[in-house]
Amino acid sequence: MLETVAQAVINGLLIGGIYALVSIGVTLIFGVVKIVNFAQGEFVMIGMYISFYLATQFGIDPILSLFVSMPVLFVIGVLVQHFLIRRVLGPNDMPQIFLTFALSLLLLNLALLLFSANYRTVHTSYSDEALHFAGLYIPVAKLIAFVVAMILSLALWVFLHTTDLGKAMRAASQNRDVATLMGINPNRVFCVAFGAALALAGAAGSLLMPFYSAYPFVGQVFVLMAFVAVVLGTLGNVIGALVASLMMGIAESLGIQFVGADSGLIVVFAMLLLTLAFKPNGLGGGRVR
Amino acid sequence: MANRWKLLSLAALVIVPVALPQVVTGAFAQDIFIRILLFSFIGVAWNLMGGYAKQLSLGHAAYFGLGAYTSTIMQVDFGISPWIGMVAGGIVAMLASLPIGWLCFRLRGPYFTIATIATAQALMLIFLKFRDFAWGAEGTTIPNLGSSPLMMQFETKASYYYVVLGLLALGLVITYIIEQSWMGYYLVAIGEDQDAAEAIGVNAPRIKRDIYMISAFLTALAGTFYVQYIYFIDPATAFNFSISIEAALVSIVGGIGTLWGPVVGTVLLETTSALLQSWLGSSTGGIQLTVYALILMAVILWRPTGLIGVMLEAWQRFVLRKPARVRTSP
Repeated sequence: MLETVAQAVINGLLIGGIYALVSIGVTLIFGVVKIVNFAQGEFVMIGMYISFYLATQFGIDPILSLFVSMPVLFVIGVLVQHFLIRRVLGPNDMPQIFLTFALSLLLLNLALLLFSANYRTVHTSYSDEALHFAGLYIPVAKLIAFVVAMILSLALWVFLHTTDLGKAMRAASQNRDVATLMGINPNRVFCVAFGAALALAGAAGSLLMPFYSAYPFVGQVFVLMAFVAVVLGTLGNVIGALVASLMMGIAESLGIQFVGADSGLIVVFAMLLLTLAFKPNGLGGGRVR
Repeated sequence: MANRWKLLSLAALVIVPVALPQVVTGAFAQDIFIRILLFSFIGVAWNLMGGYAKQLSLGHAAYFGLGAYTSTIMQVDFGISPWIGMVAGGIVAMLASLPIGWLCFRLRGPYFTIATIATAQALMLIFLKFRDFAWGAEGTTIPNLGSSPLMMQFETKASYYYVVLGLLALGLVITYIIEQSWMGYYLVAIGEDQDAAEAIGVNAPRIKRDIYMISAFLTALAGTFYVQYIYFIDPATAFNFSISIEAALVSIVGGIGTLWGPVVGTVLLETTSALLQSWLGSSTGGIQLTVYALILMAVILWRPTGLIGVMLEAWQRFVLRKPARVRTSP
C-alpha cells in the first residue's frame, strides 16, 4: 500500500515538473503583461512537433532539441507580443481573451491541417529505461524531463531576481505606470516575458517527446492543468505556480491510481472547483509574487 | 421618410425569413438555414450575458447539453413530449446556472472564462461516466415517430425551420425587452466597469446571476431543438466545446452587445463554412476553424465593434453622408 502511494507520488511529481514549465509561462505572462494566454498549450504542441521532426529527419535527440525549440519559441513569443498582443493591451478584457483564444484555435487547426490528427512518437534509447530504487520504479526519460524542468524554473527565478531585465519585469508586474516612469520600456519587457514564457512551453514540448505522443490537441491537456495550477498558486506568482503544478501532478496521479485510469481530468476539475469555492485567491492568500 | 424606411425594413424582416423555405426548397440549403437560425439563437442567448454584461463565458455547452439531455431522458424514459421537455430542460439549466455561477463569478475576466470552460467539461465527463443514468459515451438515438408535431418530429425540414425561427424570434424579443429596460442599463454598466457600477448602487452579483439564468434557459432550448433535429444524443455532441466557441464567436464577429450582432455574425460564419465545405469537401478537417480563427482575429484587431459596427459606419458615411464617426471600442 505504502509502496503504491509512493510510486503514484513519484509518477505525479515527475509529470508535475512538465506542468510547472507550462504554468510558470502562463503566470509569467499574466504577472507581467496582465493577460491570460489561452494559446500556451499550443506552443507546447509546437515544441513537440519541432522535436519530433528534428528527431525523425536529423536524428537529433529530443532532449537536445531543446536548444532549437526554446530559441525558436522565444522568437515566436516576441513576434506574437509585438504584432498581436501589444495592439489589444488596455482595460478591455474581451479583445485580450479572444485574441489569444483565436490564436489557440488557429494554431490547433493549422496543426490539424499540416500534420493530421495522427499520434507521433519518438523512441529513444532511454525511453524504456528505468531506475529501480527501494522497490520504486523511476522512468529515466521522465526523470531527465523533471530535472531539466527544475533547472529551467530555477534559472528563470534567478533571472527575475538578479538581472536588470528580470528586475524590470518584476517592477513592471507590480506597477506598470511607475515602472514606465522609472525608464523601463514596457513593450521591451513584455516581449521578453512573452518570449521567455513561450520558450518554457517549447522546452516542455521537447522534454515530453521521449515519453509522450505529439498530436494537435496535446496542448489542451497541459494548458488546463496550468490554468488550475496558476489559480491555485495565486495569479502571477512563479513559485506558487511551481509548487501548485507539482501538487496537481501528484493529485492527478493519485486519482488515476485510486479512482480509475480515466479519472485524472475529473480530479483536476474537482481541484479547480474546490479552489474556486474555498480559496479563490489561491493558497498563497492573494499576494502577487 | 425615415418612418417609411423603418416600416419597409420591418416588413422585410418578417416576410423574408418566413417566405424563405417556401422559395428555397433544397435540403442542403434548408439545412444551412436551420444551422444559421440555431446558432444565431445560441449567439443571442450568449450575447445577453457575454455581450451586454461582458461576462465572457466559454461554457455555454453546459446548458445546451443539459437542455438536450433533460428533454431526451423525459422522452425516451417517460414518453413525455419534447415540447414539455424543452421547457423542463430550460428550468434545469436555470437551476444549474446558480451553483455554476456562484463558483465562476468569484473570478473576473479571463479566469471567469476558464472556470466556465472547466465546468462545462466537467459536466460532459459526468455524463460520459454515469452510463446507467444517461447512456454513457455511446449515447442514444431518439425514436423516430414519423410525422408527429406534438412530439416535435416533422416530415419536412421547413417545419424544423419554423420552430427554430420561432426560438430566434423569442430570443430577439427578450433581448430587445432587456435592452430597453433598467436591467439592460445595469448590464452595460457592469460590463463597462463592475466596481464603478457597484459604487453607484447596482447590485452586480444579483444582476449577473439573473442574466446568467436567462441566458442558460435560452441555450437549453437550443439543445433540445438540436437533438430533436438530428435524432441522436451523446455527451460529445451535447456538450461539444465548439458550441461554446461558436456562441461567443458569432456574437463577437457580428457585434458584441448588440441586438442583431449574433445574427449577422452567424450569417457570415455559417455561410463561409458552407461555401468552404462545398469547395473543399468535408474531408479537410481543421479548415473551417482555421478560417473562423482568422476572421475572429481580424475583427478583434481592426473592427472590435464587429460587422454591425462596420455596417453602421458605412450607412452613416454613404447613405446619410455624415462625416465618419470616431470609432469607439466596445
